[in-house]
Amino acid sequence: MKYSALLSFALGAGWLLSPESLVIAGNSAGNMGWFTLPVLAVVAILLGSTGKLLQHSQLPDHAGREFKILTGLTGTIPAVTLILVSCIPLTVLAATALLVTSGYTFNEVFLYWFPNFGFSFLLLGLLTVLQFFPDKIVFKVQIGLVSIVVLGLSFLALSGIAAGEKPVIETLQQPANISSTASAILILLFAGSTLTTNSSRPFLIPVAGFIIFCLWISASLLYVNPERLASSTIPYMTAARKIMGDPGRQIMGVVVISGTCAALTSLLILCRRMLGNCIQTEDGKALLSVKKQRWLFPPLVAVATGILMARGLAGDELLEILLRGALILWLLYHSLLCLSALFMLKKQTGIIPLGGAVSTAFLLAALVILSINDPHRTEILLFILAMLGTGGLMATLWFFINKQTATKTVTQQMEKIV
Amino acid sequence: MKKLILLLSFLFITSGLQAVAAEVPLMSIDELKTQIGSDSLVILDVRSGRDWSSSEFKIQGAIRAPGSKIGQWSKDYKKDQAIVLYCA
Repeated sequence: MKYSALLSFALGAGWLLSPESLVIAGNSAGNMGWFTLPVLAVVAILLGSTGKLLQHSQLPDHAGREFKILTGLTGTIPAVTLILVSCIPLTVLAATALLVTSGYTFNEVFLYWFPNFGFSFLLLGLLTVLQFFPDKIVFKVQIGLVSIVVLGLSFLALSGIAAGEKPVIETLQQPANISSTASAILILLFAGSTLTTNSSRPFLIPVAGFIIFCLWISASLLYVNPERLASSTIPYMTAARKIMGDPGRQIMGVVVISGTCAALTSLLILCRRMLGNCIQTEDGKALLSVKKQRWLFPPLVAVATGILMARGLAGDELLEILLRGALILWLLYHSLLCLSALFMLKKQTGIIPLGGAVSTAFLLAALVILSINDPHRTEILLFILAMLGTGGLMATLWFFINKQTATKTVTQQMEKIV
Repeated sequence: MKKLILLLSFLFITSGLQAVAAEVPLMSIDELKTQIGSDSLVILDVRSGRDWSSSEFKIQGAIRAPGSKIGQWSKDYKKDQAIVLYCA
């Protein structure tokens, strides 16, 4: 595999290979049984199609393309708002959730005497420091982390599938079937993989994700009762233990910790790129350079995450609700981005690509299904509104400060010329 | 499971009863093992959120009773019952 393809995969697949995605995959496998595999294939095709749509040759082809595409439909301030709310809440809340999960995993699988919270903070510090290293080093670390996760999961899955004797799995009391909500949830596996559309390989992550999860879901279903998979909060650990006993737990422990590091590194890099996309446009240039942003954004995320962890959000059910809200915000951003691309293409060429249109329609449907069917929909709606309001305020502030700075710069340049 | 640290801390969760918290005895894992299955024993897992969901160690038969909702579930148990609470 070429280095550029490997890097694209490593950067985009962070969330896909995180413990959160393993929970989503495990629970979905429990709910839908073997139907999960064809549904996952459809989801991969949909996500690949939206990636292909955003790579259309008639769309803007330069830095800040997503911002430009989105601006075409929504205007500048809503576009900045959507970019802010799609990546920052997801990064901060995912960081809180994943770091706590890794802390528990380290404590329970490797070192009982090491405090789980201490490990979470240690990891947060290390990952923040990593962001200050040159990109070359960060990318190599990211490739290493993603490789560990892929190898660990594949090894466990293949060992389980290839093993001669498998435990007798009790059948479900209720037969597994495809549900719209369980199917829509699978789209969330790919959150973050599309936070950037710079990759010229739109099907790389969906196809690779499908293969990896195909193996893992198959092994999980062969070893664990689907009802248990559906209700477990750590289905990955249950399956790993059933497949290989204690060594399986330890391999899964390494996968979970590496997956957490890969997810956070990936989300931080992609967020920086997305904010950079806004900054690189004429509107944003004056306020914050891409270089300055690098020194500002990771520490801010680390402080926000640290505060949330220290205030005990991890021990509150609210974290799960907010994280689902952040994932829905990502889906909202991605759906609107695809919709904007369709409108732009219709305007420029008079033709709407069928694959892109169908995929966008499915994304919008998934957005509605996930928002309506959530048991905490009121709280999620309030969170989304609060985020949009805050993001809108920040975007407006940003817009006006930039406008003033830009006007000043132009006036100074005019004075020099005169 | 073996490494669980069991804490009998039913009373100290409520601030009003903190004064008597020191009198609450701790139960060792082996002690608990001998009593599991007894009708008079109630095991409550007081963890909530990720503290509970991320942990692999859960005692079979334990009832979830988040510490923050003590006012709701404390009425469900009699004072003469042996109530074991664990949070790690």
